Formats: sequence, C-alpha cells, structure tokens
Amino acid sequence: MLRLRARPLRLALVGNPNVGKSVVFGALTGRYATVSNYPGTTVSVTRGRALVGAEVCDLVDTPGVNALSGAISEDERITSQVLERGEADLIIQVADARNIRRALMLTAELATFRKPVIVALNMVDEALARGIVVNAEALSTELGVPVVEMVAIEGRGLQTLRDLLPDATALQVPHLRDAAARAAWAHEVSGRVRTVSALSIARAQEALSRATRSPITGIPILALVLYVMYLFVGVFGAQTLVGFLEQDVFGQHVNQAATWLVDRTLPFAFVHDLLVGQYGLITMGLTYAIAIVLPVVTTFFLLFGFLEDSGYIPRLAVFSDRIFRAMGLNGKAVLPMVLGLGCDTMATMTTRILATPKERLIAILLLALGIPCSAQLATILGILGGVSFGALLTLFGVVLLQMFVVGWLAGRLLRGERSDFIMELPPIRLPKLRNLLTKTRMRVWWYLGEAVPLFLVGTLLLFGLDRLHALDAIAAAGRPIVTGLLGLPPETAQILMMGFLRRDYGAAGLFHLAQSGALTGVQAVVALTVMTLFIPCVANFLMIIKERGAKVAFTLLGVITPIAVFTGAGLHYVFDAFGIRF
Amino acid sequence: MSSMRLVSGSDRVRPLSSLAAGTHATVHRVQPHGGDRVDRLVALGVTAGAPITVLQTFPGIVFLCDQTELAVERAVADTILVKPAEE
Ligand SMILES: Nc1nc2c(ncn2[C@@H]2O[C@H](COP(=O)(O)OP(=O)(O)OP(=O)(O)O)[C@@H](O)[C@H]2O)c(=O)[nH]1
Repeated sequence: MLRLRARPLRLALVGNPNVGKSVVFGALTGRYATVSNYPGTTVSVTRGRALVGAEVCDLVDTPGVNALSGAISEDERITSQVLERGEADLIIQVADARNIRRALMLTAELATFRKPVIVALNMVDEALARGIVVNAEALSTELGVPVVEMVAIEGRGLQTLRDLLPDATALQVPHLRDAAARAAWAHEVSGRVRTVSALSIARAQEALSRATRSPITGIPILALVLYVMYLFVGVFGAQTLVGFLEQDVFGQHVNQAATWLVDRTLPFAFVHDLLVGQYGLITMGLTYAIAIVLPVVTTFFLLFGFLEDSGYIPRLAVFSDRIFRAMGLNGKAVLPMVLGLGCDTMATMTTRILATPKERLIAILLLALGIPCSAQLATILGILGGVSFGALLTLFGVVLLQMFVVGWLAGRLLRGERSDFIMELPPIRLPKLRNLLTKTRMRVWWYLGEAVPLFLVGTLLLFGLDRLHALDAIAAAGRPIVTGLLGLPPETAQILMMGFLRRDYGAAGLFHLAQSGALTGVQAVVALTVMTLFIPCVANFLMIIKERGAKVAFTLLGVITPIAVFTGAGLHYVFDAFGIRF
Repeated sequence: MSSMRLVSGSDRVRPLSSLAAGTHATVHRVQPHGGDRVDRLVALGVTAGAPITVLQTFPGIVFLCDQTELAVERAVADTILVKPAEE
C-alpha cells in the first residue's frame, strides 16, 4: 500500500488517554510531544513527520479518547473530528496491554471509519508486572489487522511497528452502532485473548497508590510534597540559586563587564542608559529574566515534571472533589488548577478536559484570579520565605479563600450544569529521568523564548516611559490606589503595570524591590496578594480570548481587577487596624 | 420491567456505593440517568460483566474496574448496580 502519491500519507495516533501515544509520536518523528502520566496531557493535535521505509509520512498525535461518539469532552471531540473529516489515511491505535478491554471498545468504534488500522499493543512491561498476558497473535486474528507488542518508553517494538505499517488493513470486526453492544463485544474478545493471573510484582507501586489517595496517609503526603516544593523551589531556587546568579554572576561580573564594554565602545549617555542603566536592557531585562526568574522556573519545572510523571496529581482529585463541588466544578478540576502553577496559559487550554461550558468558565476564572504561575509562585516563596512563615500562610490563606468565595458565587450565579465526578487515576510510576530532563529542557527553552523577549520589551517600555518622565506620572496617577488604598510605596504602581505584561516580570520587579529593603513585611504580603489575584498576563488573556471569546475575557478582566484591589485594600486595612506585623 | 423489580428480583444486586472496601463484585448494569453519566461510565469500561474491586469509600469512592482505577462521587456510585462475588 506504499506507493507514489500526490501528498504524504497521513497517519494518526489514536488511543485511550495515557496509553503512550505521545511517546510513540516522539519515537517515530524525533519530535518531542509532552509526555506525562495523567489523562489529558495532550489536549490539541501535534503534527510531525515520520520516515516509514523510504517514505515520508505526516503523523498526528491526537488527544486521548475513551469514546468517539456520545457524551465526549472537548479534547475528545478534536480527535473525533480528525477521523470524521478523513484527515487520516491510516490509524495507529495505541493500546494499553493492561486495559485491552477498553482499547477494544475503541477499536470497535474505529472500525466504522473503514481505514487501515494497526494496533500498537503498548505497556507490555507493566501488564506483565501485574500478571496480565495478552496474546498478540490471537488478537491480530480476532481483529484482522497487525498487532505489535511494544514498550514504547524503551523503544521496544518500534522497528516492528514501522515494518508492519504497510500491512495495515481495515478492521474485520462487526460495525456496532450501540455503545453497550461494543462493550459486550470488547468484553468477549478480551476474555479470549487475555489471561490474568493473581500474581502481581507491582506491590510497591500498589502500596504507594493506596497511600496517596486515602486521607490518613494522603494528607500528610500532600503536606510533605508542598514542603519539599518550598525547600527546593523557594529556598534552593529562589534564594540560593538566585542569590548566586543575581548577586555574584550578574551583580559582580556580567553587569560590570557589560557596563565596561558599553562605555568603552559606545560612550553615549543614551546608550549607557538603554543597555546598562536603571532600566537597562541588560541590567534590568536580562538580569530579571536570567538571574531571577530562570532559576526558579527551572527548579519548579523539574519538581513539577516529577510530580506529573509519577501520577500523583490526579490523586488529589479524590480529596478535593467536595471542595470543587461547592464551586460548581468537580474533582477533575484539580488538574488544570495544579497545572496552572506551571503556567496559567497552558492550564487554560487544559480546561478542555472538563465536561461542561460552565465548568470550563469557572476553571478559567479561578486560574486567572488566583493561581500563581511558576515564576510568580517561586518569587512569592522567595520573598515571603524571607519574611516569615506566617506571612506565607496569610497570603495563601487569603488567595485560597478569595478563590473559594468567587468560585462559590460563580457556581451559584452562572447558568449551566456541573458534571459528575468520574475520573480515571493513572498508576503510580517511577518517573523516567530522561523524560523528566527532556521535558524540563523543553519547558525552560519555551520559557526563554517566550519570556526573554517580553522582558526586554517591558524594560524598553519602562525605559521609554522614564525618558518621557511618564513613570512619575503613572506613579502619581496610581498613588490614590497604590499608596492610599493599599499602603504600598509609589514604585509599586509600575510593577503592577509590568505584571500585566507578564506576571513573572512583575514578580521579579517586586522581588528586586523587596531585596532593596523598600518593602515591609506587611507591604510584601499586600503587594503579592494583589499581584497574585490581579489580571492575568497578556499571553493568558489572549488564550482566554481564543478559548472562550473576547466578551468572556473582558468580563473576567472587569471582575478580577476590582476583586484584586479590594482584597489588597481590605488586607491593608485589617493589618493596620489590628497592628499586625510580620 | 421497571428497575425496581430488577433490584428486588435479584437480592444480590446492590449499588456500588453500599459495598465495603475490599469487596469484589461484577458490574450488573448502570442505571439510566438523565445526563451523560451512563455514556461516560461505559466509555471507561464500567459495563455489564466487568469485574470490580472496591478500594476506598471515603472521601470519594475509588474502585478498580477491570484494570482501570476509577474515582467517582457517591451519587454516581449509587447508580452503578453490581453483584458481589460469592464468598
Ligand atoms: N511502563 C511503561 N510506561 C509507558 C510506556 N509508554 C508510555 N509510558 C508512560 O505512560 C505515560 C503516558 O504516556 P503519554 O505518551 O503521555 O500518553 P498519551 O497517550 O500521549 O496520553 P494523553 O495525551 O494524556 O492521552 C507516561 O508516564 C509514559 O512514561 C511503556 O511502554 N511502558
């Protein structure tokens, strides 16, 4: 079936969530698609090219699907559209050998598209460890298509998959219209091709899996995870590494060398100010991006990637379901919320896994309102960790309370439904170091590509405003709010403005201000609370427009800004009235 | 044939929510429900004949359905009818 054709053959990777599609995609194309251990890692299609024999094919990685018709979520619809529009000439169904029964339910649905199919029977290692053996040959006979046993993360079976692609043919299974009939068929076939023995050698994994989801052990584990995050990101990243990079590397060497070089080669006051002055592109823009934010996002991404790959995050849904239900959501919302700590913009896209428009809207609102992104979280830890633990608790307490109140109101006021809490918990796995490092490297690159230009633009903007003496005007205009209502030093006005450009840019500015001793403990808490609650960054704002439309985006903006300011004002007032100091 | 008769007709059929942790059972059926509940459960493999083991009952109900670990709220577990395995 491989022959000369007008356009490349289009292959689609389709399968249940979390079965290893992205790993296979990466192996076939050499391109990295995010791999994580939770259903919903891929919420949009990723495209790449793969070499099969001598032919170059287009390969698309699709979001995981449990079903292609009936009640499906927005990410599942993306996959179903790829198939319905005939965008795939050949389907590679990636199946989890452990869960062959569910895979077969999907196979039965794929049959209706009448395209050539090949089954990649993945995770054979994990199935074996749990005493499950699937007879690939028998399965291939049942389905009438090639079945390839694979351990994708170790690259096992990949060559066979490539070799057998030309043999893909249409499935020879009954075309069943009804989901119950497909389920019955899958049940029968899986009974014939699979043997399950009670022997499992995955005891440690099972014990961990239990410990992380039952409350008695799960809550102490959560506390421990948060504490480790504080130590690794807040202390090691934001204090040790930042201290080293900012004070030693940049403070002692880079900035001085740059200043020396600039003054030697281009001895003009304007150039000096532009590059190495108070609002200099190097002394401010680059220093903020590389010395303050880079170390904290790197440490954060490392730890976060570890948590993602371990399968821990979805387990939090079991505890938090009741809390989310009070806000018109369900436990599943914990995924976008926790991912928001990595980047709110990406998490806004992950809300696609939520079932109803109302849930998606509330989740997007909460993300924009209260979830600090990685860089911001780390600067919070960095600044307040230095003030006191009480200050840190106050900030998180206020922000969480605020999110809860807003979520509760939104759950009551918005029309629409909450969906049932039904969620798959992935197995606990030991993260693979290689994936962890690749993922962190990709994210750090992405961060640099995304943040550094904006940091420079922001610095340029400040520089320009400063030249035009507009910064003083902004400070003056902001004074009634910033100094009056919030009790902050006037410079904070410009920092809040920078925060809109990028939250972490504002956070870095605040970090710098706090380091110079210009903020008292109380002011730091107020400023960080306002910054955390404040409007999302431009990128997040654009993503909201893309996902939910401009009207929703501007409405959210109109809701969030006053909430942020009034919460800050309230805090300032309370601190003042009760004489609270940190 | 109403769902009431089915439940009382076979006294061994019970809602999943009534089982203690550690119990093994087989899915009998999922009671029809207004929204998309049945569709979603079926898509996850909660269909007639699937073997299940209850893993945890608080705060939510967590059970192993075939080889998939699922967490559901109590209201959902109320509508999943199962036959506990013979001791
Ligand atoms: N033990 C084992 N783990 C695997 C194998 N293949 C993938 N994994 C792991 O399974 C998890 C899911 O892999 P992904 O490639 O992200 O799965 P996906 O199907 O793209 O997931 P979604 O995008 O969420 O649908 C990751 O933690 C992988 O490391 C395998 O063959 N054996």
